[in-house]
Amino acid sequence: MSDAGTSALSIAAAVRAGKTRARDVVAGALERIAQRDATLNAFTGVLRERALSDADAIDRRLASGQDPGPLAGVPFAAKNLFDVAGLTTLAGSKINADKPVASRDATAVARLRAAGAVLVGTLNMDEYAYGFSTENTHYGPTRNPRDPSRIAGGSSGGSAAAVAGGLVPVTLGTDTNGSIRVPAALCGVFGLKPTFARVSRAGVVPLAWSFDHVGPFARDVADLAAAFDAIAGPDARDPACATRPATRCADVLERGIDGLRIAVLGGHFARLAADEALAAVAGVASALRVRREVTLPEAHRARAAAQVITACEAGAYHLDNLRSRAADFDPMTRDRLLAAALLPAAAYLGAQRFRAWFRARVAEVFGQADVLLAPTTPWTAPAIGAPWTTRVDGIEVPTRGHLGVSTQPLSFIGLPVISVPVVAPGTLPVGVQLVAAPFQEAALFRVAARLEAEGVVRAPVV
Amino acid sequence: MSNRSEPIAPTEADIERLAAQLRLPIAAESRAAVAQHLGGLLAAARLVDEFVLPETVEPAPPAAS
Repeated sequence: MSDAGTSALSIAAAVRAGKTRARDVVAGALERIAQRDATLNAFTGVLRERALSDADAIDRRLASGQDPGPLAGVPFAAKNLFDVAGLTTLAGSKINADKPVASRDATAVARLRAAGAVLVGTLNMDEYAYGFSTENTHYGPTRNPRDPSRIAGGSSGGSAAAVAGGLVPVTLGTDTNGSIRVPAALCGVFGLKPTFARVSRAGVVPLAWSFDHVGPFARDVADLAAAFDAIAGPDARDPACATRPATRCADVLERGIDGLRIAVLGGHFARLAADEALAAVAGVASALRVRREVTLPEAHRARAAAQVITACEAGAYHLDNLRSRAADFDPMTRDRLLAAALLPAAAYLGAQRFRAWFRARVAEVFGQADVLLAPTTPWTAPAIGAPWTTRVDGIEVPTRGHLGVSTQPLSFIGLPVISVPVVAPGTLPVGVQLVAAPFQEAALFRVAARLEAEGVVRAPVV
Repeated sequence: MSNRSEPIAPTEADIERLAAQLRLPIAAESRAAVAQHLGGLLAAARLVDEFVLPETVEPAPPAAS
């Protein structure tokens, strides 16, 4: 029998060895959800009967001598942006609740299920993934398990809270401007935003087509790698999906960091942040014996370009509903999407030209370093309902929007990033981003595994 | 020629005019907030635009696979 802190791989090993039944593991997860989610509000749907039925199927496969998969019996949940066959994909909205049910699972959901994992529910988020707080007006705010008066972050807030609270060991989320990394940092768990197009976006409602990413959350590095290995790889259902085969990351965790060139990101990534966020980066750098600093040129403009491209793509995607039923949007997103729809084409193309230039400059930096370190968020989780603006270094910034100050310039050019949790007793967690060149996730896992082995990063259940 | 140091502050009338061209009805009570958000987005676009790129730079292609 598993408890709230049992890892996904421990569960799978016990199920595969016949030491526990998948049904008992899944029933335990459903019980924890029933006990804790009234407070956390991480779930928007719980699939009790379906999950128990799927668990029974895993147990039958084992009993008949078949291989049930590397994640046999592992309970997992997915942000309600992912299609799940037979359910309506809410995307955090009231509008999509009127749509027909999905006819098939999103590719990432299907791949986790094919690996033996059992889907137990769907998770809360910012409407249409356009936010960093999961203070969803339609479905209520998701509460941070480390302090329920605070936000879980967003837009994949339910995905981070469900893992941090020990409801399930693995979840799926999406990240366009930071929507995996921000909630992972604020809730104190591991989150991976893979290289753009490394994991299929098929069956996922878009925010911004050109840099939406799918990735996992977990409480330890080995679980994160196992989940990533299960979902990564080519997919004909996603026209952008990379065709090169995926590198198995579970195989590199014991390899150490010898030969990796690691540096701290300075400049933009060291400004407009609270002391605890910068101290976490310094602590990780010290543990890795890293003293070198590099900068990404014009990173503040890269963030601005990411904001413009996101707005233009999202405004275009939602234009029909903005015309016909604007009143049904969440007030937290409606006025921003209306403004987004009014941006001129020249702004979009100017940002796309800058993106090409910035991608080339960053590629030059990766000629000198393999892994870069930066804060994930500029501060710890704000209170639910916090004021709209906050002063930092004498400058007034949007409390929620500024959470993406260090994540937006990186996903904008598709780089893989793991946010690792720095959790000190008696304080709220912060995250540190480990950043690599495209398709170099293995390097990130080597560094994350070293930090975890040294006790520098960890994600205890609360 | 526009003054680049001028703040970007679309008015509610600007919003009404732009929205009409897109056949996008915007409720009167939303126009002030939409104007504020559009001002923020245009300021971001200006920050990008102020950086002079080589003429040969083309819009970003899809990511390499």
